[in-house]
Amino acid sequence: MLEGTDVKNSSTSLWSLRAGERCRIESFDDKLAERYRIRMMELGFHPGETVSCVQSPALGAPKVYRVSNTMFSLDDEVAAHIVVSLLPHE
Amino acid sequence: MSKIVLIGSPNSGKSLLFNRLTGLHQKVANFPGITVDVSSGSLQSLPEITLVDFPGTYSLQPISGDEQVAVKFFTQALDDPNVTQVLCLIDVTRLEKSLYFTLQVIRESARHGKHVTVLANMMDVLEKHHIQVDLAGLSAQIKAPVLPVSARTGSGIDALLARLKANQLQPRSKAAAALTDTPDELLRGTALQLARRFGPKGDILIKSQARLDDFFLHTTLGGLAFFGIMYLLFQSIFTWAAPAMDAVEALLGALSNIVVPAIPNQMARDFTADAIFSGIGAFLVFVPQIFVLTFIIGILEDSGYMARAALICHKPLRLFGLTGKSFIPMLSGVACAIPGIYAARSIDSPKKRLLTYMAIPLMPCSARLPVYTLLIAAFIPQTTALGGLVGMQGLAMFLIYFFGMACGLLVTGLVSRFREDHFTDLPFVLEMPPYRMPAWQPLLRNAWNRSKHFVTKAGKIIFGVTVIIWVLGYFPNGGADLNASWLGHLGHVVEPIFAPLGLDWRYGVAVLTSFLAREVFVGTLGTMFGIEGAEENMVPLVAQIQASGLSVGSGLALLVFFAIALMCVSTLAILSREAQSTKLAVNLFAAYGVLAYGLAILVYNLAGLVGV
Repeated sequence: MLEGTDVKNSSTSLWSLRAGERCRIESFDDKLAERYRIRMMELGFHPGETVSCVQSPALGAPKVYRVSNTMFSLDDEVAAHIVVSLLPHE
Repeated sequence: MSKIVLIGSPNSGKSLLFNRLTGLHQKVANFPGITVDVSSGSLQSLPEITLVDFPGTYSLQPISGDEQVAVKFFTQALDDPNVTQVLCLIDVTRLEKSLYFTLQVIRESARHGKHVTVLANMMDVLEKHHIQVDLAGLSAQIKAPVLPVSARTGSGIDALLARLKANQLQPRSKAAAALTDTPDELLRGTALQLARRFGPKGDILIKSQARLDDFFLHTTLGGLAFFGIMYLLFQSIFTWAAPAMDAVEALLGALSNIVVPAIPNQMARDFTADAIFSGIGAFLVFVPQIFVLTFIIGILEDSGYMARAALICHKPLRLFGLTGKSFIPMLSGVACAIPGIYAARSIDSPKKRLLTYMAIPLMPCSARLPVYTLLIAAFIPQTTALGGLVGMQGLAMFLIYFFGMACGLLVTGLVSRFREDHFTDLPFVLEMPPYRMPAWQPLLRNAWNRSKHFVTKAGKIIFGVTVIIWVLGYFPNGGADLNASWLGHLGHVVEPIFAPLGLDWRYGVAVLTSFLAREVFVGTLGTMFGIEGAEENMVPLVAQIQASGLSVGSGLALLVFFAIALMCVSTLAILSREAQSTKLAVNLFAAYGVLAYGLAILVYNLAGLVGV
């Protein structure tokens, strides 16, 4: 699991983002099966792409992320395995 | 007759475009093995051309079983010599999501020698935001014509039809043919570059969408809105559909009063009244519920709220192996399992859909209500506790409702942990579509098609079972005495099965007939005790049951039995059709039957131990 890594230093997981935060996708970790990595890339979650967390509902519900002009809701099963680096606020 | 294939990713506006091009004349069929619809219809202005609408998919590289079948059938359609071309619909506001799929479609079509025309949908949204995109440039890059359209406003549709009519669609070019050998990875890279180069810049719909999400996904306000919307949905099935259900019953009653007396032969008259009219009435009465629920679920889907509701429910339902999308089918199941099973179509994960199918029959449906009311009135004292705050009968009703729901979640929780998976499951990745006004006409048409499906597919099975039960109850004494009928004899034969619950053969007969519909239990028991109209007024029947010396333990055992047993032929018929698996329906019937019987015996004996 990538949760709990230091957000300020370098890479963290997409799941650790809070609403309003932006990041750049670095890679996918090994725990995410190849077919899901491909599907995520098909949906626009490419390494290098900027993603922002739009909603982070309470009680661990899936979060809402924005990629370009599309919003996706992901739960930790996927988002915890996408390695990202935080970007400064716009 | 030439055919045109329409394909596109989910939320690209495909259904709306299909409806706009074909109008009212369309057929809906299922893929064998799955519940995904394939619609086909002739073009309104070019009736010689048939448009075939394939289910929305994000990729031609399938993950789930449903996707595998959809892609397989798309590839087969490309081999069909009657298919002259492919229309690939993309959401022009979100090219990054659409272009990789488009390039896959162009490559696959080129391999089969078919032409692709790309339709850039949602041009009205770009125009509203004064944003321009270089479609000519995109067309030059992907070597396929790209036409601007708006399925919502209809702009660009005439130009598309004119091109189809004139057969001016661009023939397969060399570059498109060259794509046939391009590997997926290169295709993905190309799609990404093209999306960045040609995609619209700036926020489109995002700001207004984010404002609404701030409300609908807010911890408190969003939760209240969710409960309010679900309450309305529940009301719609229970209350709003009721006048239409009453009307169906009244219409059939009036028709029966005209037709039945005109039949000279006594047996034919009894058969027409009891088997045909009562039998047809028993399932036609569900049609208004199915229509209303399908229509309202369509509104929730089309407006964009369904995705938010799924998000809200996902976390708690995940504990039981389900998904957020299981919530609405299960809630519908509290009114009636049949619309609930239909509603489970929206669950894209085959595994979670299967688990939802397992949970729905355990939801405390409205047909169980008369049975619960009768048994609780007969066996639970009308006393109160906590200074009058808690009525014991009300508490019993709450507990038996809760028991059914808890069993449903328990079953799915256990099955999801111990069942070996035969197919890959989809993780929770849900596109949040923009909020928008629903397109009413296609929604009404969909509700109509679903109702028609129920009548044509389930009707035959339900009618068959009705006839069997009628024959058993009518012969050999011409319906004069149910006690002396074959059904009565059958009751005596099955009596040993019910004896461990402290029940005699009369209850056995009532349980057998309730297979037609659970509430029939009340009417049959009334007939056995010689009481007419027990469904409307249960008081004399309650008194008879109490006087018959049946123990509280037997009453509780019956309550538990009815909470679990899947004894509803309509549900089994629709489950078998929707899951495309008679085996599933038979297995669930057997498993819930054994579980219900086992728990009923347990409850009866426990009650005996505590002396009730």
